[in-house]
This record gives sequence, structure tokens and C-alpha cells, in this order.
Amino acid sequence: MAQKITKWQRFMIKNWIIQFFRFIYLNIKILMVVAKGHGGTRV
Amino acid sequence: MAKIVVLGAGVSGHTAISYLHKELGKEHEIVMVSPNKNYQWIPSNIWIGVGRMTPKQTVFPLEPIYKKRGIKHIIAKAVSFHPEGNEDEKMPYIIAEYVSEDKKGQRVKVTYDYLINATGPKLNFSATEGLLPGTNKTVSVCTYDHAQHAWKELDALIQRMKKGEHVKILVGTGHAKATCQGAAFEYILNIEHELNQHKVRDKATITWISNEYELGDFGIDGGLMKAWGKVISNKDIAEMLFEDRNVNYITGAGVYKIEDGVAHYENLEGEYKQENFDFAMLIPAFSGHGFEAFDKHGNDITDKLFKGFMIVDADYTPKPYEEWTVQDWPETYQNPSYPNIFAPGIAFAPPHTISKPRKSKNGTPIFPAPPRTGMPSGISAKVVVDNVVELVKNGKNAKLHKGSMGNMGAACVASTGFGLGNGSAISMTVNPIVPDYKKYPDTGGRILSDTIGDYGLAGHWVKLSLHYMFIYKAKMKPFWWLIPE
Repeated sequence: MAQKITKWQRFMIKNWIIQFFRFIYLNIKILMVVAKGHGGTRV
Repeated sequence: MAKIVVLGAGVSGHTAISYLHKELGKEHEIVMVSPNKNYQWIPSNIWIGVGRMTPKQTVFPLEPIYKKRGIKHIIAKAVSFHPEGNEDEKMPYIIAEYVSEDKKGQRVKVTYDYLINATGPKLNFSATEGLLPGTNKTVSVCTYDHAQHAWKELDALIQRMKKGEHVKILVGTGHAKATCQGAAFEYILNIEHELNQHKVRDKATITWISNEYELGDFGIDGGLMKAWGKVISNKDIAEMLFEDRNVNYITGAGVYKIEDGVAHYENLEGEYKQENFDFAMLIPAFSGHGFEAFDKHGNDITDKLFKGFMIVDADYTPKPYEEWTVQDWPETYQNPSYPNIFAPGIAFAPPHTISKPRKSKNGTPIFPAPPRTGMPSGISAKVVVDNVVELVKNGKNAKLHKGSMGNMGAACVASTGFGLGNGSAISMTVNPIVPDYKKYPDTGGRILSDTIGDYGLAGHWVKLSLHYMFIYKAKMKPFWWLIPE
């Protein structure tokens, strides 16, 4: 049985103010993951 | 002066051309060979397919951009590779065929010092009987004109629903080994969102059909992520969304035949089933372009360059899933036989899939091919440019740059509905893209702090801002290189 989106989660995902801060967080998070760079895997 | 030829003006090829020009300027000759006159930002095709964007917003002509920078653009498709030249031509070269009306069918020889093959995939609709956009009630969103047609058909369907008709919508993969589940996932949830906007959601049964073993695999073997303050799987998130949006789903399905409004598929249990529909968007199989290659004596050496897609520095030794490692994945994207040839993005032949390969009880392989679209395409193109620049500047002393998908983070923002105030998307970051089960055995092969998921309105804003940012970058406007791939 799949989990359901709770009322609280629904409130969170639609609330403009909360989502504005999530927007900033996501942009920073994406930049941080990308900025970590890349490299090889073989020794 | 070196001559560098890039094949393909998609995400990978255009990224390569942009950085080549930035790094080498006009001191070296840079040539683009592509059958496309325009650049298209493919991730926004989903929004064209639901009528929220027009092709004008996602497509722009390349000619003025290249002309301004002295980049030669040959509007032609590559046909054959001659990496040793021949008796008359000492330089390596490719043969391309013009596609413009005035020169259609004519061939041109393009010599090079370095070749970047970024030709992307061939949309192999013919691999599934009856699957062709515009026939048998199927559409596609793989190109902007396909997506425009998809919206026309969807709009007509919505009008029928407004008159009270109940319809069946089927979205997913149209081949047992298709990839790009993410695009189909976005499209099905955008359709669901639009039907709500048009107040006809109750008039449609929406079904997802996919070759994934379970929901949320997306061709990257699923995985774990941090979301809502806890660790959950991709499967949990996908299931939660489908449950919330009342979307049915069929997984482990290899679609092999389409008839008018009927999709025939085989599942992992070996059962042959069918699903009826009034509207379907099924992603086709991707394949190489069927290029040929010849040595200087005219002997066929296609196997030396291609394995469907182009052979690069991956480990192609056949081995069971349990023995796969991230070290199998390429690092420099250089062809081992011809070091002046590179293949970033979808153009390189992957060593194997990322998802676990599975077969039906009848022995039919049903599992996703590995995705290399979007961010990995851009990053591998940048790695290739770094290597070509290094070779141009330092020759034999060049130290090649590395960028394996097993040591590379990526972000993916999957739209689940368009709207500044009521849109939504799932934002995901993964690191590494190819899971390293040896290095991170307890966290699904990934660094959990870098592998997160978030669902909500903010995701839509991120996706929309990425649309404008990447089009700005692709137009090579001031400081475009500050925007990461």
C-alpha cells in the first residue's frame, strides 16, 4: 500500500511562503551538488 | 591551427561548440555539422505537449549565434567516418549529407584534426511495430514539433471530454528497452494537472506503462533519497504521487506492438497482455544512427568505432550484473583506437545499463536503457572540450581530464504540473549518477547528503528558472559560462 500525502505535507507543498524558502534551498542544494565537480573512478 | 569538428547541435554538441569557442577563440577552426538549423531546449517539450509553451519559447536559430563567432555551420547529417583519411586525402574526415532543400542529397567531405561526435540518439520508433507519432492514436514529445502535435491531439481529446466522453490515456515507454522514463513521468503528471485545470479529470482513466521493474527506477536503478526529513526510496515517492493523482500503473512491461488504440505488451511474468487507449504517449527505443566507418584502404572498420553508439574508454567486457562496477563507465570519452575522436552525451556506447537487467519468463529482456540526457550530456561535453583543448595546446604531453558518471552529481527537476501559483515538480539531486555500491553500500550506492528529493511548488519555479537560464546560456549571452551545465 503506497504512502499518502498527508494534509500537513499538502499544506507545505502549496504554501507560497514556505515554498519560497524551499526554492532558495533547492537552488543552493543543486549548485552545491554540481559545484562538487567530477572526476575519474579508476586508480 | 587545429580544425575541430562537432557533430550534432543538441545539448552536448552545442555545449561543446560554446566552450570550444570560449577556450580556443578564432585562432582555431571550429565547425558544426548538424542537420538541425535550430537549437531546442528539450526538457520544456513537456510544456509544449500540454499547451503551456509554444515552440517559439523553446527553439531558436543557431545561424546568427555561430556567424557572429566565426563558427562554420554545415547543415548536413553525418553518414560515414574515415578516421585515417584515404589514398587521396591524408587528413581524417567524415562524409555528411546536406538536408536543406537546395542541396538535399548532396554529400560533402569534412576533414578534421579533432572530432567530437555528439549526435545523440536516433528515435527508433520502428523498433516497436505500429509506434509512430500521429498514427494509431499515439503521439510523442521527443521533439518540439512532436510535442506541438501532441498538444493538438490532447486538446481535441479534452474537447471530447467536455462533451461528456470518458477516455483512456496511456503514457510511458513504448519498447522493452526504452529509456527516458523521466520525460514520460513528467508528461503523465502534467496531463493529469491540465485535466484538472479543464475540470475534466473525472472523465479520464490515466495509466502509466513502463519497462521499469518498479516505479521510480528511472533507468538509474532507483535508489534512496532524503525527503521530508526521512530516507525514502524513489519508488515510495513515485507511488505516493500516482496514488495522490489517481494514476494506475503497469510496470515490468515491454510494449512490442501498437494497433489503433491498443498497446500490446509482455510482462516479466511472461504474460502477453494489452491495454486500450484513446491517447497514448510512449517513448520509443533509442538507437545509434547506423554510421559506417572505413580505414584508409576502404575496409569497413565500423566495429572499431561503434557498438550501436560510439566506442569510448569504457570497459565493454560482458559480465553479470553482480560484477558491474562504476569503473566500467568512461572517464575521458575518447575512442581507444583513434585518440582524436571523442563522444560525449548520448553518443557514447554505455558499458551496460545502470538498472538491473531482467528477462521475462519467455526470455525477453525488459529493463530500461541507461539515461545520459540533460546534465550528464552537458558535463561530458565540457570534459571532452577540456581534453581537446589540452591536446591542441600540449599535444603528446596532454594530461586528459576525467568525468565519470560514477563520480558525478546531477540534478533533475521533473515537472508535475505547470503554473506559477499551482504548479509543482519533484526536484532531485543524485551523487553519483551511476551508483557505487562498493563505496556506499548502505545508502543505495549514493552519497545520501547529496541525494535528496523535494516535491512542491518551489520545484516548478526551479524548473521554470532553469528553462530561462539554459536558453540564455545556449544563446551564449554575456557571462553564459557562469551557468553550470
